[in-house]
Amino acid sequence: MNIPRILELLQEVLPAARLEVQTVPIDEHFISLPPDNLHAAVRALLERSDVYHLSTITGQDLDGQIELLYHFWQGGGLTLRTGLPRDRARIETITDLIPGASFYEREIAEMLGVTFLGHPDPQPLFLPEDWEGDPPLRREFALPEEREEGE
Amino acid sequence: MADLLVALAKLLLFPGFAFLFACAMLFAWIDRLVIARLQGRVGPPWFQPLADWIKLMAKEDILPTGTNGWVCAALPVLSLAAVLTASIYIPVGGWIAHAFEGDLIVVLFLLSLPPLAYFLGGWATGGVYSVIGGNRSLLQYFSYEVPFLMALCSPAILSGSWSIAEIAARQSETIWGALVQPLGFILALVGLIGKLKRAPFDIPKAKSEIVAGPLTEFSGRKLALWHLSIEVKTVVGIFLLVNAFLGGSGVSGLLPAPITFAIKSLLVLLILSVASVLYARLRIDQLANLGWRVLAPLALLQIAATVWIGAT
Amino acid sequence: MSTRITIPIGPQHPLLKEPLSFMITVEGERVVDSALRLGYVHRGIERLCQTKTYVQNLHLFERVCGICSHVHTTAYCQGVEALLGLEVPLRGLYLRTLLCELERVHSHLLWLGVLGENIGFQTIFMYAWRDREIALDIMEELSGGRVTHSGNVIGGVRIDVGDAQFSSIVSRLNDLEQRVEKLLGVIQHERTLRVRTQGIGYLSPEEIRRYCVVGPVARASGVDVDLRRDCKYAAYGRLHVNVALAHEGDVWARTLVRAREAIESLRLCRQLLVGLPEGPTRVRAPRRVPPGEVVSRAEAPRGELLYYIRSDGSDKPARVKIRTPTLTSLITVHDQLEGVETADVSVVLSGIDLCIACVDR
Repeated sequence: MNIPRILELLQEVLPAARLEVQTVPIDEHFISLPPDNLHAAVRALLERSDVYHLSTITGQDLDGQIELLYHFWQGGGLTLRTGLPRDRARIETITDLIPGASFYEREIAEMLGVTFLGHPDPQPLFLPEDWEGDPPLRREFALPEEREEGE
Repeated sequence: MADLLVALAKLLLFPGFAFLFACAMLFAWIDRLVIARLQGRVGPPWFQPLADWIKLMAKEDILPTGTNGWVCAALPVLSLAAVLTASIYIPVGGWIAHAFEGDLIVVLFLLSLPPLAYFLGGWATGGVYSVIGGNRSLLQYFSYEVPFLMALCSPAILSGSWSIAEIAARQSETIWGALVQPLGFILALVGLIGKLKRAPFDIPKAKSEIVAGPLTEFSGRKLALWHLSIEVKTVVGIFLLVNAFLGGSGVSGLLPAPITFAIKSLLVLLILSVASVLYARLRIDQLANLGWRVLAPLALLQIAATVWIGAT
Repeated sequence: MSTRITIPIGPQHPLLKEPLSFMITVEGERVVDSALRLGYVHRGIERLCQTKTYVQNLHLFERVCGICSHVHTTAYCQGVEALLGLEVPLRGLYLRTLLCELERVHSHLLWLGVLGENIGFQTIFMYAWRDREIALDIMEELSGGRVTHSGNVIGGVRIDVGDAQFSSIVSRLNDLEQRVEKLLGVIQHERTLRVRTQGIGYLSPEEIRRYCVVGPVARASGVDVDLRRDCKYAAYGRLHVNVALAHEGDVWARTLVRAREAIESLRLCRQLLVGLPEGPTRVRAPRRVPPGEVVSRAEAPRGELLYYIRSDGSDKPARVKIRTPTLTSLITVHDQLEGVETADVSVVLSGIDLCIACVDR
């Protein structure tokens, strides 16, 4: 995987963004992007580089924002990092580019309350239909034992 | 009065119901033992089929709401009654309850009632798995029944008689049907595997696809009777084949008749058991293909050959 | 007959070993639609692990899946060791890899038995699971557990091989290899098995790429990816892995790929045992992990397993994300099932090697 070339490619597609590569174990490279640029970046990767395999999309509730990590792999790891505001967590879906992202986006939608605009089948994936309560991976959600400890 | 008692004894004890029940349990055990040994396992003790049956008789008997209880109770009884009636005309080790010219046709007719009851059982209970299993059992019936019937006609044509006892007697005097009509024997065996819904033709009750097919919703005593009718049908089918192709129980006088009959029956059972271990289950369309494109023409060929031999 | 019937496959069904719900709509004997529902075994492990220490989480992640338990802890320990900057001694890496490969063998044999049972070929089920016992016995000798070994610790492995066990293990591996070769011969030549599995569930290389499918399913369609050879984690950098490929893309190709992989794994096991270096098997690991993130990948029996771990300096992980390989195959099932006969549904579902506990976590 030619990281400098990919960085060049992304910088070309997104001239306004200041892109940097952060090396992370194990053989992984992180590039941070604004959420509006993510779809274009993925399209550029698919169309103009040999990267096509999306391993998964990780979501986590960091202080102040919901962070999404799009993990790609092609001989080495490339992760696109983007952050969404906690009260307006919306981002464009990439299932039109990578149909395999469908389940990953559904899981993040139900676990973190993120809306993926344009997703073909936005149903809950693992949680039951009658789930009431906060999305489980958000800070607000407390496990029963944590609630007891708090009280 | 004495005649009546003798007839009742023949019907109820030997070679009637009690004997067939014992044979059914014995054949089921041998079958399971052979299959287990071929698969590298140990196999059940001799009383296992009997124990299973007794336990099943004692279990709770429930049906889905909305099904007709009388129909569902009558169907396994009908199936069992049909095979037991068919057994009357099949000689066992030289003894026979009753025989007449044309009883082969009657037996074949009676043996085609259980598949009908099986199919109706699926429709009467009405669950998804039952209905699909019922449909498949009917499709399967049409695939194997024609070759089976034609294959069983060949010994009749050869011996010039439509009575099973006669066929067996003629064959034990002259030569076994299986040696003169090997094709017919093989077709009859294949047809019997289909009739008994044994692997690889256990499509209507494919466990991994439709749970248990038409019998999915049956339980307790009704299911026990279904299983019993299937096991007795195995015995009756094997006896029929032994009489039609292996010369019944007569032999050159080396061994007493019952022993030779037992040996021949066990031989056929062994062939059936081995066949069920060797292959994967076919799909229903593959079976229909096989039945109509391969088996039926071969059966026709066998009949044609028999007629030609008879003519010349 | 053009009436549509909906057949429920699951959550309870003889075909499934774990609960999953497929509602298959059939017309006559052809499938026209299918709907998937997951989550019956969802245990909330990703959320739960945030309340437990790194060491406690070892036991938690091992129980994500029963069949591929060791590779889960392998990926997890690799990640945490990278965050801690630990270097596992070579002997530890070799033993870790040995268990990984034994697990691959046992998983593929389990799958072969399940496939046999689901196509009505019970004999293969009995033979495959009988031969699998050899692999399970070896793993029990090494670790004390047949399926959940607790072999990995952060910093290395807990198990070791003594000289006395060495030759007996190698001879049993040879015996197992011969048996699996025989099973491969059956797969290649038995007509009824080929008739039931060939042409079913075809996936083109294009579809594999679009759905990001991994593992033997991808390799059976000719996509040449194997993280053991490409990522060289654990001791794989010192081994030469022959990747099993096929091009037919159907269930039969997947069967061939898995059988060949099992034989290759046995070969790798022998190599690992013969070349086992001397030395310690583990290093001590501190309780607190400095802040950082890591992405750890491993090749589970079903494909690429990914662990993303973020630490915040305490003794509990801030976030662990697990992506298991079966999830990628499940996305393709809807396409595979279209136009297929009802009887082939079980073949298709068996072909992707379901591990629902892995998927649901």
